[in-house]
Amino acid sequence: MHIIERITGKRHTVVIEPVVEEDYKTITKRKYFFNWKTEKKHKLYKLRRGDSDIILGLISMLNEKRESRIEIRLLAVSVENRGKNRQYERIAGTLIGYACREAMKCYGTEGCVSLVPKTELKKHYINQYGMMDAGKQIFLAGLPLLKILNTYEDENN
Amino acid sequence: MKTTKLLKKYASKDLAESFVFRTKLNAQDKKKSDRQLHKMRKSIQEKLTPKQILLSRLMQLKYQIEDYSKNTTYNNAFSFGYFLRAYLKSLNKKNKDFANDIDIDETELSQILNQHRNPSEKVIIRLELHSNKAIPAITWYRLLEKEKEHEILTDTTLRRSESRHVRNRLQLSI
Repeated sequence: MHIIERITGKRHTVVIEPVVEEDYKTITKRKYFFNWKTEKKHKLYKLRRGDSDIILGLISMLNEKRESRIEIRLLAVSVENRGKNRQYERIAGTLIGYACREAMKCYGTEGCVSLVPKTELKKHYINQYGMMDAGKQIFLAGLPLLKILNTYEDENN
Repeated sequence: MKTTKLLKKYASKDLAESFVFRTKLNAQDKKKSDRQLHKMRKSIQEKLTPKQILLSRLMQLKYQIEDYSKNTTYNNAFSFGYFLRAYLKSLNKKNKDFANDIDIDETELSQILNQHRNPSEKVIIRLELHSNKAIPAITWYRLLEKEKEHEILTDTTLRRSESRHVRNRLQLSI
């Protein structure tokens, strides 16, 4: 998996790993928008560059085992990576790609990733990530899920 | 900053590339929405071609091997042979046919599957080529490396037998 430095176009390998207790000192609301402590009971992962400890993005996922589905509860990139002047491209996509990887690992062809979008953002998730519209929820499954994996995974990770 | 302020500050496209917000559905809406999602998922999954189904199975296997290799705990059941058997099962291949595919003797394949023999580097490379890189050689190799690591950590018999070859051992203490 990699992200791209917007100004230089340079690729950087990234690591996605579980958030540990110590991380809560640095994942503040100011920098990562949400109060992530409330997500402790869910699967919480951080994205960082392979050569740095700085957290660039966070994702909270819920594994709905009975439905063979991973629900993205929350996702945020760090404050420096929001908007037009963001430092890196692909942070959110790589985190969504990671949720797809989890769905594929746990459920194979049945795997699905879903989220409940804000109405204003729905069409953008659909355009950006190829998500499909299921009314209140949007989702990735089947071929679109395979395509996301193909886009955000690198060979020989 | 509240969500409404974010919506004013950034374009919606930029927000979709930065956030998934917490949006709660009431119980009734959730039930209805889950039903709708289930129905749509089914129709999407039914459209997968046999090749895409096979690719999905192989990716599932690759991720399972990767995560097991990274995990610090060792599980004797998850041997190289166990995952190779899963690979054959995904392809619905008989041992004889698969041995023929990667040009090894059926006995050699059987020994690898039953943990009586480790695969050579050649076999690992052939596995990568056979899967058209869906499962890279490095993924198989890391699995083997994990087994080796466990063996080195726990082989007391080898430690005993090698002990007689070591003289002038250092006497270290804090």
